[in-house]
Amino acid sequence: MSNIIKTLDATDCLEGIESVCDIESGRISGKIFYDQKIYEQELEKVFARCWLFVGHDSQIKKTGDYITTTMGEDEVIVIRQKSGGVKVLLNACPHRGNKVCFSESGSTRGFICNYHGWSFNVEGNLTGQHESGIYEDSNFDKSKWGLKEVAKVASYKGLIFATFDPESPSLEEYLGPMTWYLDALFDNQEGGTEFVGGCIRSTYECNWKIAAENFVGDILHAGWTHDSAARAMLGGAVSKVSDFEESYSVNWNGHGYEFALDTVGNVAVLGDSQLNKYLHTIKPSVAERLGDFRSNMIGSVSSCTIFPNFSFLAGQNTVRIWQPRGPNKIELFTWVVVNKSASQDIKDRWRKGAMMTFSPTGVFEMDDGENWEYCTKTAKGKVTAKQDLYIGLGMDSYLEDTDLPGNVYKGQLNEANSRAYYQRWQDLLQSKSWADVPNRNKGKAEVEK
Amino acid sequence: MNSKEQQLTPVSMEMHYKVSGFLNMEYRLLDEERFTEWLALMDEDIHYWMPGIENRRRENLLSEGFYDANHMAFFDDGKLDLSRRVARFSQPSAWAENPATRNVHSLSNVEVFEGESESELLVYSVFQSVRSRGQDEEYVIFGRRRDLLVKNGDSFKIRKRLILMPNATLSCKNINTFL
Repeated sequence: MSNIIKTLDATDCLEGIESVCDIESGRISGKIFYDQKIYEQELEKVFARCWLFVGHDSQIKKTGDYITTTMGEDEVIVIRQKSGGVKVLLNACPHRGNKVCFSESGSTRGFICNYHGWSFNVEGNLTGQHESGIYEDSNFDKSKWGLKEVAKVASYKGLIFATFDPESPSLEEYLGPMTWYLDALFDNQEGGTEFVGGCIRSTYECNWKIAAENFVGDILHAGWTHDSAARAMLGGAVSKVSDFEESYSVNWNGHGYEFALDTVGNVAVLGDSQLNKYLHTIKPSVAERLGDFRSNMIGSVSSCTIFPNFSFLAGQNTVRIWQPRGPNKIELFTWVVVNKSASQDIKDRWRKGAMMTFSPTGVFEMDDGENWEYCTKTAKGKVTAKQDLYIGLGMDSYLEDTDLPGNVYKGQLNEANSRAYYQRWQDLLQSKSWADVPNRNKGKAEVEK
Repeated sequence: MNSKEQQLTPVSMEMHYKVSGFLNMEYRLLDEERFTEWLALMDEDIHYWMPGIENRRRENLLSEGFYDANHMAFFDDGKLDLSRRVARFSQPSAWAENPATRNVHSLSNVEVFEGESESELLVYSVFQSVRSRGQDEEYVIFGRRRDLLVKNGDSFKIRKRLILMPNATLSCKNINTFL
């Protein structure tokens, strides 16, 4: 018997879900931020199917090192194996379902359930129980009752992803050409990246998509929402994004990265000249490694979401998951990512700078929370929830003639990525299987050499 | 009481009274949004630290138990960082602060001991922060605090503050105040 947890059989799609948003006309609806039935469908058709970020290699270095997290609302343990690989196990005992690991991270030789003493090793195999003799009397087959594993685990440049769905495309196919852009933060130096210790968790009363969409392609809000923070950190307003000569919005399978090529616009808001200096110092070696184009992205004005709920900012180096906790609530997990090869001093500066700007006490993030909560809460009104919401900026900005991979749009002040994000979301909710999910990509799947 | 604590010397009743009054005044300044005056109470070398709390097993504790100096923190600030936070609160474009957040800070369980040098005092306390925003939002944060004060004429300056919340997950969206 396979120890893989069986994924959900897809239920029928919600009636009318195909018309709740009309992306081609640049319209979405507040209903998608507050509706319990839609949320139930999301847990099944988005979170039980997509590849979800579950951790970074550097968080679980040695055999038995683990972190706990959730995939949608399902609790999982991410644990390093003796083989060097990673298993993602359901954090629920197969006897009565009790949680077996109550800590957020640590190192262990296994897990013992508090209820009836079922014990599991690092591989998740059941190795014993309290009063084990009585199980033998019942012809109990221990080999069948280990902790269940998720269907697939894979990683890209230290980022570990997992999916409950054996039918999902490979991680490589799922991410597509977005990996070319991910390298600008996650592989700009030899040795790659690591996460700083710890994980700050907080709670927002907002829908998970509002936050994810903000990072997929909404730099537009920054100049207005974050004016007070920018003035506090920089002594002046944030860079005027419309002044950038060259910037892009790129998306693929609902993922999106919007970016300028100004190298240090994002890092500058941390208000620490040593970090700007560090990026300028490594830039020539990044250019050698990744080419000139991406060396301009290492700390530029930018943001990214990998569908559905994994986001980061290059430069601020904040990495986060928006964990769904109901249609109008999320738990936000944040980490700080740094180059492994950077000095301890630089790593410390990034740890502090990221927290000072993007964390529950961060001067930038404070203003985001207010906006996202009330974008969600207004949809509590049945009539208000039916109001069309405009999402039409940059409708005709697709770039046919570009060597850049992905679906590439001109300019980062553009709602193209947001549209692609909600389109993917709606496509998934309308599809009972992966085979039904339409391929809406029209750009290059690979970089031309 | 462990051996380290036995070495602590409580200050006089009068000094205890002065310190309590100082800390109560500090909290009133925050509640009245008198941030510039509040900032002036911080020593130039202030380390204002609120580490993230990690929910870990007893056999896997960090250097300080549930927290670690090298891990992520809500606040890990010097004077410049604090002044930037104050500057942000003071911007007319801090949209989310209009209408203002209404704060009530209170302090209890105050214990005052002599510090390592004659000019220093070690203060343990328990804080409570109640915030209300908008029409109906309410957020309560409790925790323990350890302050290092330095005597400054007839008053004090705050040189170190360690803020320990019991929560490993903050139950609200932000901490838009000082603790």
